Amino acid sequence: MEPPKIWREKRQRYLALGISCKKCGKRSFPLSEYCPYCGTNDVEEYRLAETGKILYFTNVSMASNEMAFNAPYCLGIIELNDGIKVTGQIIDCDYKDLKNGMEVKMVFRILARDGHEGLIKYGFKFTSI
Amino acid sequence: MRMNGKNVFVIGTGLTKFGEFYDRDSTSLATEALNAAINDAKIDRSSIKSAYFGFMISNSSPHSAFSSKCLRECNVSIPFTRVEAGNASGAAAFHQAYISLASGIHDCVAVIGSEKLSDFVKNGTIEKILGSTIDYQWEYEIGATLTSLYAMITKAHMREFHTTMEQLASVPVKNHKNGKENPHAQFRREIPLDRFLSAKRISDPIGRFDLATHCDGSSALILVSEDYLERNNGIKNKIPILSSEHSSDVLTLHHRESLTEFKSTVTAAKKAFTKVGIEPTDIAVAEVHDSFPISEILAIEDLGFFEKGEGGKATEAGLTQLNSKISVNPSGGLKARGDPFGATGIAQIVEIVEQLRGRADKRQVSEVEYGLTHNIMGTGALAYVNIFGQEEMEQ
Repeated sequence: MEPPKIWREKRQRYLALGISCKKCGKRSFPLSEYCPYCGTNDVEEYRLAETGKILYFTNVSMASNEMAFNAPYCLGIIELNDGIKVTGQIIDCDYKDLKNGMEVKMVFRILARDGHEGLIKYGFKFTSI
Repeated sequence: MRMNGKNVFVIGTGLTKFGEFYDRDSTSLATEALNAAINDAKIDRSSIKSAYFGFMISNSSPHSAFSSKCLRECNVSIPFTRVEAGNASGAAAFHQAYISLASGIHDCVAVIGSEKLSDFVKNGTIEKILGSTIDYQWEYEIGATLTSLYAMITKAHMREFHTTMEQLASVPVKNHKNGKENPHAQFRREIPLDRFLSAKRISDPIGRFDLATHCDGSSALILVSEDYLERNNGIKNKIPILSSEHSSDVLTLHHRESLTEFKSTVTAAKKAFTKVGIEPTDIAVAEVHDSFPISEILAIEDLGFFEKGEGGKATEAGLTQLNSKISVNPSGGLKARGDPFGATGIAQIVEIVEQLRGRADKRQVSEVEYGLTHNIMGTGALAYVNIFGQEEMEQ
């Protein structure tokens, strides 16, 4: 894992930030300097809605090294209540209990760790309501 | 003024066997493929003006600067360019080579696709490498792998079009049957349907046997323009490239409207068919990107061979088998031939050229007029579609 990258991205990862465009009014994720819909840079930070529903999901048993401690885990594409879609892990659940349309809320968890003494990367995951 | 530039032809092909070669390095594989292509083209190697190398990671430290070493061993001292487009790097290099000839800048170039993946044996390494073909920051680092994204695509297709596990498994069953007849394929044996169905799930519903294997291999082509042919009479077995198109889509899956259609494939195919002035039904043989069973089903739908949602049924009904409605992946595809990323896109072209030349032996498709190749990156962020015709065809 790359320390400068983790440091650079921590604010948007920890706070789950997107943007809201002051010109066209649209919101988007992830955080960017320009609005992907109208191209203006007149944008402001926007905190994503904390609840949503599962659109698609699967489970992951072959994960990257840094996430192997966590595997197998569930993963899905979530549509948040503000209409923004994100990919996220779905935790504290059994894969067989997951259903499309299930309501979930965003939680703050460890995403990856670089061995026992290395860096820890945090970010959002989802849990059922 | 001609909008399409100069006519371009494939005059030589070279391919190593695909598989795990712990005793060989990248240079050795690439040199074998390029030498084979030069010998096949029967040209003086000094006429090659430039080389395009397509690979994703093979210049990483264990294989440093293999492009340069390969050209030295092939005794050609020419400029070369590395082209990288994830697991579509081969097709991307081919496209750049095509542009250099169509524009008239060069009249004879070499294209080499190569990858050496068996060196990366540590668990999770290939997953990380493939993480760079999807949204690294907001998919891979969140916990998604390429396989898990394709798992969600598979489930979406099953939900929307009632595609069954049996239909999905009939894709690799068919490709292994074809691969059995391909001497360059990594796996030359048939695998019965129930082995795919009963295998352990890696990412539900994708099972352990469903993935194309990440292996070693090299492939090469010699391309020339009409200028070269005018000056050099008697070049035989030249196959015209009727169109070479590529297109893109947003990288991240959660930004897309639909998971069951790859817009990049649809757009690239439309451009390619329009340029040639033919319909998908005119294609007799196609090499498509079957990294997972669902990838081939999406490909044959998005390329227009079958209606959206009918790909699974068509495959199960045998419509994509050798010498049926359309022969899809006669080489065995990525699944049975193996998938050394950069080498794949060019190996697909080698297969179609050999089919058009009538040299595909037991996998030969009868009466081939047009052939097509389709290579994509990740979950279809980039798609490359090429159409080839018979020697005598006017472009």
